[in-house]
Amino acid sequence: MEGNIVEAATILGKLLGAGMAAIGVLGGGIGVGLSALGAVQAMGRNPDVTGTIQTNMILGFAFAEATSIYALVVALLILFVF
Amino acid sequence: MSETTTRSWRWGTNRWMVLFLIILSAVFAGIFPPLRPHVQLPAELLTEPLFTLPLIGGFQLSNTLVALLLADGILIGMALLVSRAVRRGELTLGGVAAGIEGLVEGLYNLTESTAGKWAKTIFPWMATIVLLVLIVNWTELIPGVDSIGLLDKHHIENPEACTFDTLFHLGSTEVVAVGGESECAAGVVPFVRVASTDLNFTIGLAVVSVVVTQFIGLRAQGRAYFSKFFNTQTLFKTPMFGAINFLVGLLEAILEAVKVLSFSFRLFGNIFAGSILLFVVGSLVPIFLQSAVLLFEFFVGMIQAIVFGMLTLIFMSLATIGHGEAEAH
Repeated sequence: MEGNIVEAATILGKLLGAGMAAIGVLGGGIGVGLSALGAVQAMGRNPDVTGTIQTNMILGFAFAEATSIYALVVALLILFVF
Repeated sequence: MSETTTRSWRWGTNRWMVLFLIILSAVFAGIFPPLRPHVQLPAELLTEPLFTLPLIGGFQLSNTLVALLLADGILIGMALLVSRAVRRGELTLGGVAAGIEGLVEGLYNLTESTAGKWAKTIFPWMATIVLLVLIVNWTELIPGVDSIGLLDKHHIENPEACTFDTLFHLGSTEVVAVGGESECAAGVVPFVRVASTDLNFTIGLAVVSVVVTQFIGLRAQGRAYFSKFFNTQTLFKTPMFGAINFLVGLLEAILEAVKVLSFSFRLFGNIFAGSILLFVVGSLVPIFLQSAVLLFEFFVGMIQAIVFGMLTLIFMSLATIGHGEAEAH
């Protein structure tokens, strides 16, 4: 009985921890949205430089996304390693 | 009363082929019910230790290494294709060789517009990273990757409860596709797993990128390159600000090391999360939806390859310029 409770608490803690770690994805989403906003506005003002803006936008995506990917990696590590 | 209506609906063939494929996938999902594969972070080992290396220890063939060798083979094949086309003396290359030429030319123009006169030094590193990561990421799209493998019952807790459909025998071991309950799927060791889902590959690539960046910086600026990290120029003239500059220089040195982490986890996280997404979507909705996810993974793999190469290019060209302009990422 006691072993079952400990096991259940371990699983509960693991799943809750993974879920909470994934909250960090929020910031990355906001960052990607903001960079797309800026890029689209710039393209609307000056459509001639669309190509350059797109390249830089994707780089910005990658940086903003990186932090949320760290959160995701932490969540995955909690789920599949521990 | 006759009305002439323009028929916008045509009797095309492609749409019927797509519909046929969707129905076929539904039929196959009915015959072989999809189940969630076992997710494991470290690469699975395919063989017993083959030989022993000094310092490192036993060498075992892992399935991510197989994927890397596969990608290497594809890259060498591409190179041979282009070199044969060039040696044939054609003025304009045709077919696949022309596509590869266009890709390399685009990468070179990108390098030249960012790095200027250092383009010739930086281009091989950047192009190698882009092409290798691109091919490695796209091996995820080959059918059978991550799903067909050797049967190893040691990983399953009670092997009697599991049944596997043997595809064929390879020596004494059986080759099976992923099947059975989730616990049973732990017994399937896939032949090929995308190399980017192995931290050894991504960290190795990141270390190469960062270390070569230091060498290129050293070659471009000589000893002045180290003044970025140990900034003692203003330390004795204005002790207060000099101390701050010195500490900022130390931070720069730490940031170089952190770059390895950021490079490797970005690639690893994106591709590993993508392959888990493929598993989960495939086990929940086996019909059609996985094709859309595969298309998404196609773009993610491409963008990660471009980002890895672009960042390497930018850091390398920043290292050639001299201190002051370098930004922390």
